[in-house]
Amino acid sequence: MAWITKQSGTIQIDRRDEPYLTAEIRKDFESRMFPRYPDKQACTIPLLHAIQDLHNWLPYQAIEEAADFLGLPASTVLDTATFYEEFFLEPRGKYTIWVCQSVSCEIMGNTKLVEKLSEKLGIGPHETTEDGRFTLMNVECIGACGGAPCALVNHKLHENLTADNVEQILDGLD
Amino acid sequence: MPLESPILLKNIPTPPWGEFADRKTLSYDDYVKADGYKSLDQAIGMEPKDIVEIVKAAELRGRGGAGFPAGMKWSFLPPQDGGQRFLAINCDESEPATFKDQVLTEFDPHLIIEGIAICMKACQLDTAYYYIRGEYHHHRVIFENAIAEAYANGVFGENSRMGKVNERWPNLYLQRGAGAYICGEETALLESLEGKRGWPRIKPPFPAVAGAFGRPTIINNVETLSMVVPVLANGADWFKSMGVGRPEGAPPNVPASFGPKLFGISGPVQRPGVYEDNLGVTLKTLVEDHCKGMIPGKQFKAAFHGGISMGVLDTTEYEAEMDFDIGKKYNNLGLGTACATIIPHDVSMVAMARNCARFYSHESCGQCTPCREGGNWLYKMLTRIEAGDGTMKDLDLLLEIASSMGSMPGTTICGLADGANWAV
Ligand SMILES: Cc1cc2nc3c(=O)[nH]c(=O)nc-3n(C[C@H](O)[C@H](O)[C@H](O)COP(=O)(O)O)c2cc1C
Ligand code: SF4
Ligand code: FES
Repeated sequence: MAWITKQSGTIQIDRRDEPYLTAEIRKDFESRMFPRYPDKQACTIPLLHAIQDLHNWLPYQAIEEAADFLGLPASTVLDTATFYEEFFLEPRGKYTIWVCQSVSCEIMGNTKLVEKLSEKLGIGPHETTEDGRFTLMNVECIGACGGAPCALVNHKLHENLTADNVEQILDGLD
Repeated sequence: MPLESPILLKNIPTPPWGEFADRKTLSYDDYVKADGYKSLDQAIGMEPKDIVEIVKAAELRGRGGAGFPAGMKWSFLPPQDGGQRFLAINCDESEPATFKDQVLTEFDPHLIIEGIAICMKACQLDTAYYYIRGEYHHHRVIFENAIAEAYANGVFGENSRMGKVNERWPNLYLQRGAGAYICGEETALLESLEGKRGWPRIKPPFPAVAGAFGRPTIINNVETLSMVVPVLANGADWFKSMGVGRPEGAPPNVPASFGPKLFGISGPVQRPGVYEDNLGVTLKTLVEDHCKGMIPGKQFKAAFHGGISMGVLDTTEYEAEMDFDIGKKYNNLGLGTACATIIPHDVSMVAMARNCARFYSHESCGQCTPCREGGNWLYKMLTRIEAGDGTMKDLDLLLEIASSMGSMPGTTICGLADGANWAV
């Protein structure tokens, strides 16, 4: 939910020595991304994407590092990060399954998909399997309504799913 | 009158002129072979203000939802003052039922890029950001690649064939959203572009005056900018020979419905997809001809005709003309994105209303109390009613909450709350 507020300031931060914000990302942003915008704050979302693409989620330490790099208070970057559904401030599964639940997909029978996946994976929506492989998400329209009902598994789109073929989207995943 | 030949979908095979199965992405070279970038060359030889005049004369209206005339928007820009000026292209496309911009992005990215370049030249905007929703992964890769091709072929960057625009070499960058419907609202999009929460701004100032980074900014939808390309090539009169035009008797300052439009149809029809036809085509034609009718055993009951924010057409309104006057004629909020979800006879309207309420309560940005709290309240009550535990008092309460939400009664900043309350 977009308007969930930030965690309180008393939160304990797990730290590690190795930075999440790698030298490579820094270099890329300094040479390629910063010149694109009048100020560095505009790089917040691209930077969070870059970090998350690498680590699969955004630990608090990473938020602090990003803020430092952009010359912003950590609270400002956290403020932005917590607004967007795609940013995970807690660890998630290796594969995130985004099942659309908006109108076209509901009409075409999405609830059966979620039931089937829940049953197969043993988790409910917005939960992660114990082995850390799958996170199941119930989300709003993913812009593929012509192929309803549909779902994304990480970056891959699957259309025209049914209760019978939905398990196939898990096939071939290691 | 049906559209004779495809305009925006000229290079994207679509029934009745082609088959979905034959669609493939056009590279820069493919696009140039199909006469691409000719309109840009034409624009380069023109005075910026003359380009704006053609778009104005064509009365091209925004295709992102609000239907605001593009030429008029462009002419709101203040004179150049030496500072940067921006273009933000809205490819957030998060309105449920809407999937038209992704077809252009996936198959004919250079058409969009050409439209972007023309707009930059016409309005003297030096930097453009293509704001694409986070979930369009495959499309993002394609568009990123098309931008690189455009740079390599001298459309953007140093030594751009456009020369300097607003005293700078023109640039186009892709910006990836991160999953928030509200970022399709133009000022929320700007906040997001600036690296902040997608919170709509209170207007005025309007973006044309103070938009991204406090500078003059034009925001247009992908389809709107793509349409500039054929309009420039063929002229305003050609564009105005299509569509239904102005309602009879309306004075010339009333915005009209000229030209073709993309329509995305989904739900239980035989051949869902994105089609192109003239504004004014009936919903029935879209369903029965373009989509080959309902799937066997399903009957048309109603439709969300323009994304879910615009309301519904009921069974008796099956033959409604899909144009910008649909709101006035059929008492709904308007044409919206012109992408329709068909609701069949066996799906309950309460379930649909509940689905919409959940969507808006989830996607509310939370700044305005009526929207944030009201949306959630509506959702809970509709859930209860759908489960069969509703009372008559619930109905009164639903109406009371719904009528207190929205920028129409003036209690909220943006139009999300208006979209949220119509369902009740
Ligand atoms: C809640 C909300 C969501 C919107 N989402 C989109 C969207 O996803 N894509 C879009 O082009 N316009 C969207 N709009 C409309 C934009 O605010 C704006 O009117 C449009 O991008 C302008 O472009 P146009 O004049 O070319 O249509 C939205 C508006 C509101 C109030
Ligand atoms: S109406 Fe809703 S979405 Fe729009 S600004 Fe207010 S709270 Fe945010
Ligand atoms: S409604 Fe499911 S993808 Fe649009």
